[in-house]
Amino acid sequence: MKKNISIFLFLFLMGIGSVYAQMSADDIAGRASHMGYYQDKDGRSQAKMVITDSQGRRRERQMTILRFNISDNGDQKYYVYFDKPSDVKGMAYIVWKHLSKDDDRWLYLPALDLVRRVASSDKRSSFAGTNFLYEDVSGRSVNLDNHELLSSEGDSYMIKNTPKDADQVEFSYYQVQVDKSNFIPLKAEYYDKEGKLYRIVEAAEIKEIQGYPTIVKMIAQDLNSGSSTTAEFTDISYGIGINDSIFTERYLRNPPMQWIKG
Amino acid sequence: MVIKKSGIFLVILLLFAWQKPVFAGLSGWHGFAEGAFGGVISKGDPTKHSDYNMAEERLQLKNQYNFEGEDILSRFQGVFRFKGDFTLDEYFGGKTDFELREANLSFTPTQLIDVKVGRQVLTWGTGDYLFINDVFPKDYVSFYVGRDDEYLKKPSDALKISLYPELFNFDFIVIPHFTPNSMPEGDRLSFFDSFQGGIAGTDSDRDLIEPGQQAKNFEYAGRFYRNFGSTEAAIYLFRGFDNISRSYKNEAARQLYYERQDVYGSSLRGELLGGIGNIEGAYLHSPEDPKGNNRLIENSSVRLMAGYEKDLGNDLKVAFQYYYEQMLDYAAYKRSLLSQDVVYDECKHITTQRLTKLFKNQTVRVSLFNFYSPSNNDGYLRFSVEYDLTDHWKFTSGLNIPWGAEDYTDFGQMRKNKNIYARLRYSF
Repeated sequence: MKKNISIFLFLFLMGIGSVYAQMSADDIAGRASHMGYYQDKDGRSQAKMVITDSQGRRRERQMTILRFNISDNGDQKYYVYFDKPSDVKGMAYIVWKHLSKDDDRWLYLPALDLVRRVASSDKRSSFAGTNFLYEDVSGRSVNLDNHELLSSEGDSYMIKNTPKDADQVEFSYYQVQVDKSNFIPLKAEYYDKEGKLYRIVEAAEIKEIQGYPTIVKMIAQDLNSGSSTTAEFTDISYGIGINDSIFTERYLRNPPMQWIKG
Repeated sequence: MVIKKSGIFLVILLLFAWQKPVFAGLSGWHGFAEGAFGGVISKGDPTKHSDYNMAEERLQLKNQYNFEGEDILSRFQGVFRFKGDFTLDEYFGGKTDFELREANLSFTPTQLIDVKVGRQVLTWGTGDYLFINDVFPKDYVSFYVGRDDEYLKKPSDALKISLYPELFNFDFIVIPHFTPNSMPEGDRLSFFDSFQGGIAGTDSDRDLIEPGQQAKNFEYAGRFYRNFGSTEAAIYLFRGFDNISRSYKNEAARQLYYERQDVYGSSLRGELLGGIGNIEGAYLHSPEDPKGNNRLIENSSVRLMAGYEKDLGNDLKVAFQYYYEQMLDYAAYKRSLLSQDVVYDECKHITTQRLTKLFKNQTVRVSLFNFYSPSNNDGYLRFSVEYDLTDHWKFTSGLNIPWGAEDYTDFGQMRKNKNIYARLRYSF
């Protein structure tokens, strides 16, 4: 009897061990999402985005992004304060990101002292006119896609993500290359409904900040239009004690300068 | 003359573009320089200039000072904000002016209180170009000639105290100095002048009497608001004056005045059917004519509206609103009228439709906004195209098409002011 139990225990532990040895595609996608969007309970960074169109014309966006996790790998809140270009300076934006329903978004226009509620069912629209989409900035819920491990050779995993609801998105699937050592998503390639590669988002530079591997430079390319956007993140800090209360109308009208200035 | 001055201004605009180092020296100063022209496309415009209603240049400067140090304002996170517009108005023969739009100090004396004092723009409520509980001053002249939306709101001189206890938030505003709406008065925009009995231009000679500068004429506004989940609920209170001079002080002297008005209202806004829905309503009490039997003073009324906005994807948004206004004590109003008076309807219905589409990486914004009142048989179409040429240069062009069968309805009276406008702005 005792022997039977220990054999059972042995088999059980072997089972757990093999799970660790061979992570499922869902696990990898979940870890990658965590590394991209959920590290620590909150964070801030300054983002400078330079958009270059096919004719080489450049536009610039500069903003402070504050993030707060309501639950790890779950709902989040974002506060975006625009610094450049000058005609949007002082504009502030709040997103209550929900995994299971549409996000709630509010925009504050200081010239009108107006808090506007923004209809936002389309998370695949451009963020502030850049080549990044809302989902690139706040993360796409891993539950929206089916994940398939295409390869785990070398230093990275290759995950294929196919949307559960194909009508909601403009791609048919996208492949993400994930670093095996730290689960940072290195590169995402999007394929259109005809199966043609049309969009690439990649991590161009990764640094360790407060012990967290962090993407500090990101490039999004639209292969159809020939335009691209480079985002550089500076003044990054984690776990700064951002309070849930700043994601409210009060702080849209009075931006929390102590977090914005860093 | 217009062209000559515009030419000078154009040179200044170009200097802005090429002499950036000049502005680099002005640390923290931002703003824009803009030239704007609006041509009238209606026949028989009886105003000062029948062929145009906007020709102006504008320099806006703004700055903000965050108090940092050991003093009390620094400890209270004090911020001083300034914004002012220098204008050169060709419509009035090159008149120069300065408009102080913001000069206010805001601070947080305790975690639960924000204070903002000074000249500031005040906004609340849920409507889109329709206002019920937003009783703060507006500039409809700017709205109809095609200035930027920023100028629809006029600043108020006010003290605003915001409290944030657990259960709800509360804004309390004291406005010691009354500011009326800027309404068409015949010089730039023609309108229905009841003394003339029709649409009037430069021949209008009304006298608008503002409330005197006394403590008893201070205006007070309050708002209780909180969220239920992500649904926003608010209750609004106001004691002050109508921003539009709707009542008669002395008919023989063609004097109109801003009658007292109390407003009690509420609103809800939240997610609805994959979009944003809002409802808002208010009872407007007319304390100087509570029974509605004085033909010279505006009656009490009830106003309601409901709206819905949806994002259809691909940077296309649509929105609809319905607005209802009912004059109270209508029988008493009808009985009080004299034979020569215009008889206004008891009920007014307005619908609005908005369509916004962005193109070219969101650098081109096309917007269509339409007001239509089935009860008044009038409406107002606003169309605009904004193009961000660069991060600094923006070109805007649009149409303002008010129309209507009657001279005395909201939009019908504006029908001789149809215009096409263009603005070129350099932001820094």
